[in-house]
This record gives sequence, C-alpha cells and structure tokens, in this order.
Amino acid sequence: MTGSSPVTRRSRQWSSPSRPRISDFLAENRHTELSYQDALAAAQAEHGRVRDAAIRVFKDHELKEECRRLQEQEAAIRQQQRREEERIRNEERVRAEEERLRALKSKIVPKLPPEPAPAPTPTPAPAPPASSTSVSQLNGAGPLNSGTTIISASQQGSIAAGSKPSSLSISQQPPSNAPAVSINGTKVAEPAPTQPFQQGQHVTPTKPPPFGTPAATSSNFLSKALQPSAPTTTSQTPQPPADKYVIIHQNLKKLRASLVEQAKSLPLLKARMGDMRRELRKTLGQMVTEKGGNRKQVGAIQALLQESLNGSIPSQLVDPSQYVVDQRQPMEGALHNGAQLPSLFLYLLNIFAKSIINQFINECGAQPKAADPLGVIAAQIFSNKAYLWRGKSLVDILMAKYRVACPVLFGYRGNESTEQGRIRLGWKRDGTGWAPEQQHIEKMKGLAVGYAAIALRDFSKSPNTNPWPPSKYWASLARIVNTPPAEISNTQCVVLRGMIEIYEERFIQFYGSAAIAALHSALVEFPNKALTKTPGTAGLPVLAHILKRNIGLDL
Amino acid sequence: MADQAASAPGVAAAQVDGAAPASNLQENSYDVEVQLSDLQKDRENPLGSAATFQELGLSVPPPNEVLEGLTALKFLKPSKVQEKALPLMLADPPRNMIAQSQSGTGKTAAFVTTVLSRVDYSQASTPQALLLAPSRELARQIQGVITTIGQFIPNLGVSAAIPGSIARGGSVDKSIVVGTPGTVMDLIRRRQFDTSALRVLVIDEADNMLDQQGLGDQCARVKGMLPKNIQILLFSATFPEKVLKYATSFAPSANIIKLKVQELTVKGISQMYMDCPGEADKYEILCKLYGLMNIGSSIIFVKTRESATQIQQSMVRDGHKVSVLHGAYEGSERDALLDDFRTGKSKVLITTNVLARGIDVSTVSMVINYDIPMKGAGEATHDTETYLHRIGRTGRFGRVGVSITFISDKKSFTALHAIAKDLQIDLVALSPDDWDETEKQVQKVIKSSRAQANFVPSATSGGQE
Repeated sequence: MTGSSPVTRRSRQWSSPSRPRISDFLAENRHTELSYQDALAAAQAEHGRVRDAAIRVFKDHELKEECRRLQEQEAAIRQQQRREEERIRNEERVRAEEERLRALKSKIVPKLPPEPAPAPTPTPAPAPPASSTSVSQLNGAGPLNSGTTIISASQQGSIAAGSKPSSLSISQQPPSNAPAVSINGTKVAEPAPTQPFQQGQHVTPTKPPPFGTPAATSSNFLSKALQPSAPTTTSQTPQPPADKYVIIHQNLKKLRASLVEQAKSLPLLKARMGDMRRELRKTLGQMVTEKGGNRKQVGAIQALLQESLNGSIPSQLVDPSQYVVDQRQPMEGALHNGAQLPSLFLYLLNIFAKSIINQFINECGAQPKAADPLGVIAAQIFSNKAYLWRGKSLVDILMAKYRVACPVLFGYRGNESTEQGRIRLGWKRDGTGWAPEQQHIEKMKGLAVGYAAIALRDFSKSPNTNPWPPSKYWASLARIVNTPPAEISNTQCVVLRGMIEIYEERFIQFYGSAAIAALHSALVEFPNKALTKTPGTAGLPVLAHILKRNIGLDL
Repeated sequence: MADQAASAPGVAAAQVDGAAPASNLQENSYDVEVQLSDLQKDRENPLGSAATFQELGLSVPPPNEVLEGLTALKFLKPSKVQEKALPLMLADPPRNMIAQSQSGTGKTAAFVTTVLSRVDYSQASTPQALLLAPSRELARQIQGVITTIGQFIPNLGVSAAIPGSIARGGSVDKSIVVGTPGTVMDLIRRRQFDTSALRVLVIDEADNMLDQQGLGDQCARVKGMLPKNIQILLFSATFPEKVLKYATSFAPSANIIKLKVQELTVKGISQMYMDCPGEADKYEILCKLYGLMNIGSSIIFVKTRESATQIQQSMVRDGHKVSVLHGAYEGSERDALLDDFRTGKSKVLITTNVLARGIDVSTVSMVINYDIPMKGAGEATHDTETYLHRIGRTGRFGRVGVSITFISDKKSFTALHAIAKDLQIDLVALSPDDWDETEKQVQKVIKSSRAQANFVPSATSGGQE
C-alpha cells in the first residue's frame, strides 16, 4: 500500500523542469475545466488504485489468517487424534491385561484357597515333623520362578485342597523322594543350585509383568512367600514344584537303569526293548514338515506304546506318581486308574520325550520349521486318552527333560561369565570345559522353537485336553521378559527369539492384541532395557524388523 | 551335610537339591568366573572368534544392511575364516585372496559379505560381481545366500547364469551374477553379459574348479574376458599342493589362508565305519542305522544310479521320505528335488558325487558312504578329497554330525585305510551283530566327538609350522 501510491506522486513531483510537462503544469490553462476534470479523474483513479491495493492487502491478510487458523485447527485435531489413539491403545492394553487376568483368574481361583489354608495351620501347629520340613524346603526352593508354572499344579492342588491330607500326602512322599534327591543332587548338581539362588537373588526385582497375570500371581505368591519370615510355612503347600521336574528327571534316570536291570532277567523284555527304543527314535527322525506326511509314523509310535501297555512284554509295575508333579486320585472314566503302570510303558514315554528333545536340539536349531511336526506328535501322544494316568496327561515326563535342558523357559537365569550362571542356564559341559558357544546357542534355539511347537497347539476341535496349553507359553515368555535388566543374558535373548520366530502368528491367534503387546515387550522393550548388549539382544529388534516387513506387524 | 541341615532350613533345601550353598551371600562369593582357557578354546575353534562383525570393517558404506542381514540369518559372531579373511578382502586397494577353511565354517558367508560390500547399488543393472561354482545346485545355493544376507539392501539384484536361466535374446542386467563357468562363458561370448564393470570374481570350490580338465579351462577363459584389475577370491575346504601352485598364478599376489593336514577334518563329525559281511547285507544294515541316534536329515552317497534307486525303494518301505538326485535328472527337476530335501519334505537324500561339494543343508546329521569314494581309471585309487567333501555335508557350522562308511570287501577296506592315513585320523569300527552294543558305541562316540569339537586348531594365515 505504502509503496504504491507515492510512486506516481513522486514521478509528478520530481519530474524534471526541463520537460515540457512541467510547463504544462504551470501553464495558463491549468484552471480550465478540462484540466480540473483531468486532475479529478487522475485523483479518482489514484483513489481507486489505493483502495484496491488496500482491499487486496486486507484480503491477503485475511487469507493468511484463515490459513493459520486452519493449520492450527488441523494441528489441534491431529493432537486430539493422537491423544485418542493413545487412549485406545492404552485401553486396548488394559483390556488385554484384563482379558489375561480374567482368563487366568479362572485358573487361579482354585489355587489360592489351599494356599492360605495350610499356611496358618502349620504356624500355630507345634513343631512340624522334621521330615516334612525338609520336604517343604524342597518345594519351597522353587516358588520364585514358579510364577505360573504352578498353575497346573494348583489345579491339582485343589484336589488335595483339604490342607491336612495334602500335607500328609507330601510328607509321605519324601521318604521316597528326598533321600533319592540328596543322593542325586550332589551327583547331578546341574539344575539344583539354581533354586536357592533364584530365591535369594531374584526375589526383590521380580516385578509384575506389564501384561498378563502370571506376574500378578507370582508377585502375589511371592509376597506371601516372603512375608512370613519362616519360609517353611509357605512351602508346606504342594504348589511350587517347579523343581519337582528335577526330581522327576532323576527318577526317570533311575527308571531307565531299572529297565536295563530287568532286561537281564527277562529275556522277552531284553529281546524287544532295544528294538522298540530304536524304532521310536527312527520314527521321530522320519517326521517331515509336509502336512499329513507323518501318518505312518504316528501309527508306529502308538503301536509301540500300545504294545508296552497290553502286557505282552513283561516288565515291573511302577507307581507313575514319581513322574508327575501333582497328586492324583482315581478319576471316573479314566482308562488307567490303578496305582501302577508297566514300567516299560513309562520307559517308552521317557524315550519318546528324550528323542523329541534331542531332535529339537539336533535338527531344529538349524531348521526351526522341523519343530512343528514334533510338537504335534508330542501334544498328540501326551493328550491321547489311552496314555493318560488317572485322567491326566503324563506330559511332566517331557517337561522334566525340558526343565533340565532349557531352564530359561522355566524362569531360571544366570550370568554367562560365571560357572554357576552357566549351569543355571543349562549350558552343557563337555569333556573338560564348557561346550562351545555356537553349540550352546544352537541347542537353545532348537529347544525354544520346540517349546512353542508343543505349547501353541489348538485343541479347540479336539475331544482331548491340551496337555501343555498356550498359557504355559505365555508364562515362559513372561518369565524371560520380566528379568531385571542387569541380569538379562544372551541365552535368554536367544531363547526368546527362538520361541517367537515363525510362531508369532499362532501366538497372536491365541492372544490377540495381548500377544502384540507381549511381542512389543519382548522384541522392543526387552532388548532396550538390557544393560549388556549381546548378539542376542541385537537379534530381537531384527526380528521385529522382519515381522514388520513380512506380515506388516509394526511393534 | 547333616550339621548344615540343622543350621538353617535354607541350607537343607540346597543340599537336597544339590551341592551348592544356599544363601545369596555365599553364592556371590562362590561364583566362579568362566575360565579363561574355556573362552580361549572358544577362540581357537574355527567357529569361535573374539571379534564382532562390526569390528571387521563392515560398518563402512552399505554395511548396515549387510550387518542386519547377517543378524537375520542368525550369524551372531564371525567364524575364524570370516574374522581373518573379511578385513583382508574388504581392504582397499582390493587384493586377491586364496582361503581354505574346513567344510561348514562360513566360507560362503565370508565371500558373499565381501561381494555385497563391493557393489555400487546405484547402478543396479550393471554387473559388478561374478561368482562361479561347479554345479547348478551350488550356484543356486549361493544365489540364495546372497539374497538372504542382502535382504535389507534396496536395489539388490542377483542373476543366476546356469543352463536355461537366461533366454537367448536376453541379457544379464543385475549387479551380481552367480553361475557355472560354461554358461557364463557362453553368455559373455554372445555379448549377453557385459563384463566391463566387474570388480570382483569369486570362485567357490576353487581347487575343483581349477583342477578339473573342463572346468579349469572354462574358468581360465572366463577370467581372460574380464577386466584386468578385478579382485579374485578363491575359496575351498581343500587345496591340494599342485592346485595351490596354479591358484597363486591364477590369483597373483594373493593373501593366503591355509590349513594344516591335521586340521582338515571338522572334529565335530564323528567318523565311523560299518563292517558289513557282504555287499548284499548293506541294505538291511543301512535301515538299522537310523535307530542308533537321533537323525535330522541324512545323505547317502552311492556309486551308481541303479543302486540309488534300489536303496530308495527299500528305505521308502521302511517309512522314510527319500529324494534321489543324480545326473540323470534334468535341471529344474534337480532343483525341485533338492528343495524338497532342504525344506524337510524329504529327509533322506540319495545321490552320487554330483552333490559331494558345497551343498549346505544345515539339518544333515548323518552322511553315509554307501560306496567308498574312488577315482582314476577303473576306480582304482581312493579319493581322499571327495571323502572329505562328502562328510563335510554334515557337522555344518559347529553342529554335531556323524559319518559312516560301509566296507564289505578287501578293496573297500584298503581304500578306507588309505583315506584314514591321508587324513591322519582313526575311524571307529561298528559291527552289525549286536545292535544294543552298536547303539551304545555310537552314543559314546558322538558324546566324545562333541567334546573334541573344542580342540580344533585354528585356520592360520600362511599356515604355521
């Protein structure tokens, strides 16, 4: 505006006097009507021009203002959107948590009652018998990492809910178990030292996981375990046998030795046992990834187990309760309700479990996809009604082996630069030293993917009960993810990645958005919070990257 | 133990569970650092290494993607040959390299990483790197490794120059080319392959490629048609003396990484032999082997196509899923068969020497020399190199593997004896009489060779002693 009008004026004002126009302006006829009209018209034009300019500038300004307003509005909306999104995400997370909580509550509810019940009882009770104390220690040692593992036990615990009988039945057990363990304990040493450490060291840092109840349970459980200063009382409960697996593992070793002994006096058993074992091993090695390609193998395995059950081959009868974590009473409709089963049958189940674990170790570290048919057959055999005892699965035979081979899945942790830490992590010794790192890692990868293959099976269309349901997978994942940052080990990262990769979609199928939150926690937060960065921690975000690229899952 | 049990309940628990102190205080003071010698041993292992990939100079230009690719492939740390060879190969100005390292120790990943770091991806349609392999299977396998390690590199293109892959009128328009020498030679001659911008030439299984009459000529001709300043990288698990001499003139003033004779075999492979009463008993014995240990996949090497087919029949009857692969099959058929085996659709592969070299199927846990490898006129002499390459199909990258060689007469016995002498190894004898005993023995051997895997000496530059 200011720039426009003066221009003309200036040009008139400053126009050089030598020009004829100036004389024109001083001329006689300057007062003529014509010149006035001229001047008037000029003034009018000038006025119009100035006005137009003003209006234009005003409009410009207005437009600019409008623009700014729109932008501001947009920003505000965006922010609102973001806030909304955040809220939704939060709500989703909360919902997911609630979902988990609810799902688990239904399982936990039966568990809690037995727990407080025994606790008060023994405290006032004068001096519990010495033997029961030592047993309870045995159980008490594990509670820490027990988190959810115990859930299954808790279900069974509810059977023995009458606290007295339960504690009784336990104290009956020790004579058979406890001494045995102490003998083996020293010999084996492997998983054993874990417990006390776990208890002592990790109590404080255990935090409830951001998602999922396992934590809630465990923290609950923990606080209970901790507050009564005498741990004896708490451990009186039958629940926390996370490490009963170690005992079962020992018992299975004894079972195998016993079969070898039996074979010496039973020629029929000797003739068949080795062939059955090799047949089982061969059959599991034949499993292929192609769907429906393993029918013959499944048939062969079932035929072997059937043969061992029908009594055509003589073998001692043994008490199966040595090979399960819970106490079992006869159950209506169950095929095998007696107090004993042929030892050959349990032996074959043990060989089956061992072979599956070995197959995971040898094959699946290199080819994770090979785990799936093995997971299928494991779930199939351990859920088969013909092979249940008192109506429940004998899957603990497999899990005992798992607990020893891959403790990380059961919540154990350790420092890889210390001897004890390595033992706790299931790092194998061979010969004079430790197995090479590459071998250890490979083994853990295979076991991790195998675990997913067993636990993430869909039984919704099966008439049988899932022997190792997805909640176990969740619990194992949570136990790793909730490791305090300073204690995160490379082994854990490897296991974590192993159990997620190629099973992420199945996991999401089971748990929906809760699974996505869990994956975020495992693949993004977990490696970030680790204090020491290892190749394993680097591998987790790469998996997140791969998931984003391959299935569009943005964590 | 008894008095401890009395002192504190926690101690009792610990004692019950094992010989470890109970309180955390004790535990801290009791923790023992993993011994240096153990870590050291890890370092001497051909797969162990002190370095990380980042430290090997991979963090310059494109490499973040390469690094990420290596991680995605679950390569956590470089192996010995990678640690030694990568910095030399990546150094500027580029120098030639002749590298020998045991089977399954990461040679392919080493040269693929180098190739990926040398290519200029802004010129995606100009061939810049050429990799030669002796068979179409191996070429395809290398192509697969390149695409996997390079999966995060935008604009990455790999052409396979194998029979039937590039049409007569077409041209090679990817930055990396993998092929067999014959096809590559034809493509260059027909001007379908512009070699002017090539900067790296890799020859895998180099001893085999340079030594054999046909392949050697083709390689030399191909090299003659390439730019003079090209960087040449030669890799193999075996380099017999006379080939090495030729190799040094083929790749002048090269850095050389070489193994000693005793280091040739991977100690993680348990080598055994089965004493068969006669040729006819071999079938039945073969099937029995699968119950002795847990086996992932297995490869059976035979002499003739006919016996391959016969063995297949008896194994299928026994419940195995079997692929047979030999020269009688056409290219694409061979690809499909090998893919079935790779993906686990079939778990037994019966083959002739076609696949003795280079093929990497990580799940192979047993190799059977159904017929012992022989060479020369009338199959008169034992073939140590082929034996080594065959058994190298198992025990990949530190895994445990088993090799069982069948002998059934004096000739095969003498040949195996000579091979063992060449390699300075002892083979464990198995007998088919008592399977319980044989099983026990096999389990023992596997256990001890797992322990032995620790003691493999390293690949050293220029060879020590």
